[in-house]
Amino acid sequence: MAHILTTCTFCGVGCGIYLEEDGFRITGGYPSMSHPANQGRICVRGWNVHEVASSPDRLKQPLIRDGGGFREASWDEATSFVAARLKHIRSEHGPDAIGFINSPRCSNEEGFLLQKLARAVVGTNNVDHGMGAYRSASIEVLMEMLGVPAATNSIADIEQSDVIVVNGVDLALQLPTIGGRVIRAKMGGAKLIVIDPRRHRIAEHADFFLQTRPGTDRLLYGAMAKVIVDRGLADLKFLKSRCQNYEAFLASVHAYDALWVADACDIPPGLLESAAIAFASGQRGMIMYATGAEARGADTIRSMVDLALLTGNVGRKGTGVMPLAEHNNLQGTCDVGVQPQLLPGYASVNDEAARRHFESLWGAPISTRPGLTTRGMIEAAFDGSIRALWIDRHDPATAYARASIVAALDRLDFMVVQHLFMTETAQRADVILPVVAFGEERATFTSTERRIQLAEKVIDPPPGPLPAWDQIVRVANRLGARWSYTSSSQVMDEIRRAVPFYEGASYDNLSREYGRQWPCTADRPLGTALLFADEAPSEPFRLAPFPMPEMAGSCMIAEYPFALIVGRSLYYWHHNVLVQHSETLKREHRVLQLDYPEGFVDINPEDARELGVRDSGKVRITTLNGSAVSTARVTGSVKRGTIFIPFFLHEVIGQLFGEPDSSGGSSDWPICARVERV
Amino acid sequence: MRARVIDRADVLKIVDFLRRDRYQVVAPFFGRGRDTVFDVVTDANRDSVQLHLPNPYYPPKRYVLPQIHRLLTARRTILTTRRTGGGQLRIDVPEDEPRLAIFGIRSCDLAAIGHLDRFFLGREYRDTYYERLRRNLFFVNVVCTDTELDIDDDCFCVCADTGPAARELFDLQLMHLGGEYMIVAGSPAGEAVLSHPACRQATPAHVARRREILSEVRKRFKDVTSWYSMASRLISLGEVGEKTWEEIGNRCLECGGCSYVCPTCTCFTVTDRSTADGVTERIRLWDSCALTGFTRMAGGHNPRKAVHDRRNRRFFRKLSHYFVQRELSVACVGCGRCVEVCHGDVGMPSVVEIIRRAAAARNETR
Amino acid sequence: MSPQQTENIYLPKPATIERVVDEIEDVKTFYWRFEDPAEQEAFGRFMPGQFAMLSVFGAGEIAISLPPSPTEAETFFTVRRVGSVTAALHELRPGAAVGVRGPYGNGFPMESYYGRNLVFVAGGIGLIPLRSCIVYALHNRERFGRIQVFYGARTPKDLMYVEDLERWQKDPAFDCWLTVDSADSQWRGHVGVVGSLFKRPDVQMPIENTTAFVCGPPVMFRFVLRDLQGMGYADGNIVSTLERYMKCGVGKCGHCCIGVAYVCTDGPVFTYEQIRRLGEVI
Repeated sequence: MAHILTTCTFCGVGCGIYLEEDGFRITGGYPSMSHPANQGRICVRGWNVHEVASSPDRLKQPLIRDGGGFREASWDEATSFVAARLKHIRSEHGPDAIGFINSPRCSNEEGFLLQKLARAVVGTNNVDHGMGAYRSASIEVLMEMLGVPAATNSIADIEQSDVIVVNGVDLALQLPTIGGRVIRAKMGGAKLIVIDPRRHRIAEHADFFLQTRPGTDRLLYGAMAKVIVDRGLADLKFLKSRCQNYEAFLASVHAYDALWVADACDIPPGLLESAAIAFASGQRGMIMYATGAEARGADTIRSMVDLALLTGNVGRKGTGVMPLAEHNNLQGTCDVGVQPQLLPGYASVNDEAARRHFESLWGAPISTRPGLTTRGMIEAAFDGSIRALWIDRHDPATAYARASIVAALDRLDFMVVQHLFMTETAQRADVILPVVAFGEERATFTSTERRIQLAEKVIDPPPGPLPAWDQIVRVANRLGARWSYTSSSQVMDEIRRAVPFYEGASYDNLSREYGRQWPCTADRPLGTALLFADEAPSEPFRLAPFPMPEMAGSCMIAEYPFALIVGRSLYYWHHNVLVQHSETLKREHRVLQLDYPEGFVDINPEDARELGVRDSGKVRITTLNGSAVSTARVTGSVKRGTIFIPFFLHEVIGQLFGEPDSSGGSSDWPICARVERV
Repeated sequence: MRARVIDRADVLKIVDFLRRDRYQVVAPFFGRGRDTVFDVVTDANRDSVQLHLPNPYYPPKRYVLPQIHRLLTARRTILTTRRTGGGQLRIDVPEDEPRLAIFGIRSCDLAAIGHLDRFFLGREYRDTYYERLRRNLFFVNVVCTDTELDIDDDCFCVCADTGPAARELFDLQLMHLGGEYMIVAGSPAGEAVLSHPACRQATPAHVARRREILSEVRKRFKDVTSWYSMASRLISLGEVGEKTWEEIGNRCLECGGCSYVCPTCTCFTVTDRSTADGVTERIRLWDSCALTGFTRMAGGHNPRKAVHDRRNRRFFRKLSHYFVQRELSVACVGCGRCVEVCHGDVGMPSVVEIIRRAAAARNETR
Repeated sequence: MSPQQTENIYLPKPATIERVVDEIEDVKTFYWRFEDPAEQEAFGRFMPGQFAMLSVFGAGEIAISLPPSPTEAETFFTVRRVGSVTAALHELRPGAAVGVRGPYGNGFPMESYYGRNLVFVAGGIGLIPLRSCIVYALHNRERFGRIQVFYGARTPKDLMYVEDLERWQKDPAFDCWLTVDSADSQWRGHVGVVGSLFKRPDVQMPIENTTAFVCGPPVMFRFVLRDLQGMGYADGNIVSTLERYMKCGVGKCGHCCIGVAYVCTDGPVFTYEQIRRLGEVI
């Protein structure tokens, strides 16, 4: 009964957990007291992660489509079949007719090899992770403003903050380990500012709860900056010594009218002002936001980074900008180059020197043709220019609420799916390659605090499945590559040469203590907990001036008076295929679905009274794109004029949002809607 | 009770003795950082067994109530309308459990085993699977005497009246007296070990030293006399206000951790898994009253939908006079694990404190 | 069971479905027997109001009331399709193998009702747990005073145990009143909620020396309770059975524990006086 320290692979926190095994199966799991990310705590997902590996529903053998069903095949047959089909499609339609999508749950090794397969073997830049269908605004903005596309601080820092802004994320349900840290920081005396159109668990603890009208956060931050500048609370020394562009920024801030903004955001002006003062008066201020499906748009993120820079809250313990990844390896997946426009280490595909570097590393030319994003690939599949897709652990058919995705997948000539389970997407595949589960292979993941961690092999996989990276190697070699990796650690050794800030992250190094936070280089083998801590400014930070807009971007159409937002609800954790294979999680996950088989829509009690809508009564929601019937949940968690719909019902959302646009519905881009009693 | 002493250097000979006596022995070891763990003693790790270290987080209750436990397998069942033929149903129950000695169990965790015994083996029904594991256990209790390593700020066994020295349930009890350990048997099986040549007769000086050390150790704990009693009374009388439960509920992030790490929590769920065609495995898993689905009935009615109702439930179940009388003990042994596991710091000590504070505030306004 | 009990309390005994009867929409009755006749014999001594744990292997195990009276020859369950286990059960045909263990729970203390009047009030599928008690009382008719049954359903199609109802209505030994919330063209009986039967001029309900049994949906329970209390029934003479999510049936899994009671071992039969004092809102 060995106890092996590994990392939980549910979300981006990267909690340290021990798995206990009895020789042939995982018999339990519990949190590490010493792991810096979670220090003895994990969420209900982590407590039940051990059940996933022992699920009896797993795929065991490679499957090849055979008429309406599948037949089992050997690995040799399956991989040579995949290679032959890809080769054929490439010769008929060119390399850009093939696309590669992985899940931000895949390991670094898997992601790295997948993009290498795409770029160096097939010859296309069509490679992206699944979340690319939403936005990767956070990475772009942080690159542009701070020069590093990741959280500037560590999770353990949260309790050292004395003022924390939580923007648009229900930490208690999505990232409980971080939610708990925020609650404990608050109990330890920190001031908590929550900015969200929904009142959720963390908002209950807030000193300042700014329940904004959806789509107005950008304005709010501008007005907060104005208050801070007017009160002389800006950190001018920091601005002058470490930031570019600050004069232009300060000038743009002056145009803001806090009273007008408060009105547009529908919050009391005094609250806006005191929240701004509280943030600027803190010694150590931190700002957190989500990067998943509820992510803010680029401009909102810019304004949050502006606020952090304006108050000098970067580069010290307890300060910083913390984008929070819902997926366990969103950070690592981007780090290793699973993005169409960026090579491993965030070098642009257009950067000739970087391309040369990889060409010599991989011994193959790299295409200069721009690649497609996930959304682009799916659209291209629909219009026929993409003929084959390789999908690693992702399930686009259920991940996005769009019927057109299924139609697009059905038009493909060829689709390979690597997964643990028979997903909706896998059912449409031509070849399914079963992968090994958590705890059955050694692989690395990079958490939302840049912590590269080694997930250990705890038990042997059942006979049949192979590690996903190994599958990619087999296909690559059948396509003519000469890859000689025999273990995932050799893949990591190549990542260390490809991604400069992973240089010091060998398996040997990572297996000590609790992984390494990048930059982890030869001269910093222990990694870096806190970015920008050095006094000497490397590259100056870039503030992003943002002139006060003419009008607020909320719903302005009289016939559609409600701002509809979509988001997470209790226990709905992204691609719930993992949740579905644990008894406890399945039960918890199903509670809402069973209680609300037609979904629900949260509506404010006063709005409900005016419309004559009762709790649990049926309502019809109509948008410019469509209409759907759902069940009303009358609740004070949304304010007047806002309605909220959870993600978990694809049909309802599909009806409302129409096709194929997928940009609406976040707090930043509410959809205009009408509500009627049915 | 015949006390013996054994040299510090010889203490692990008890482990060797038990291993030769056909026991599988689990004992505490250091893991990474301040993590510690009960693990099986082998020839390779025998010398790393620790006597004094922070109490392992993953509670020894798993040796009587495993996190995941197979109850039975059923074969040749009819699951669908495809097969309506009859046929005998064969139900198999896993084989008997091995002899297991837990070396280094703390007094709080031992008291918890006593609580579990009364729950699982008392009343109308005896839990078969618990009993099978339980009857093969041999306990070597180590008294927490090292105020740096054994005891931390979250420990409150003194308030729960379960420590630092266990009074019952152990087969052997070891207590550090300086260069030697006092060793006391609590059962005939334990007595048998005392015949080991390394054990010497204890003197009155040893006994006096034991008393002295215990009273010193007690000073390491916070002064919280009759700590539960007020919270217990208020909960029993239903005098903890809704607002107070809401305050507690808002800090609960519904992870279930408090139930999982609690050495006295007993709740479980049962589920069927189909392992191969026609073969069903029935397993039981730890469950937690913190979770929404815990009380939800098929059809949708959920008597404890609000998180604060579920928190209310936990502490009512643990502290109310009714259940204390029913199980002859408060369902809390003061191990402090729920303090460490809780995201929102609503483990037992904080909740008791919140309830006391709320009551004090109410009395003031009266 | 004695503290010396040695058998495995979680071990279901193999049983076979013999006959399946459709009751109403989504409700079926499953007649079953243990494979081992000795088990059948031992099980047959259950008390009205007790329940059993039924295994549909692969889907799971559920707690389920026992609608037959121990004075009847056959054992059966009547089950509404509500969750995953009941859905799997509804797929089963005669000959299918299931597992049963029990009986569990306190059951109705029938002997304590000897010499008393019995009033049964059931709504919808609330008749399932009361049926056992009603049939037991009829089979021991001489031991009880007056017996009345009031049964209401949403529509005539929702009335359960139709054969029993027809027999009961003809039986001169006791009164059986039926009602529906909304009638169809064939219905010639009473229309209205079950409580409206109490006010009929031809109904005279005993109050003194009477125990009232109430089972049905929560809303119906609340209204009937108010009616009975208004008529002068003491809370201690109003009896119901509680249902909770259960995983073990023997007081261990913790799911059914409400207030100070484990519904499975302390219940499922409670007087309203006990229910009020459990300590948690029902």
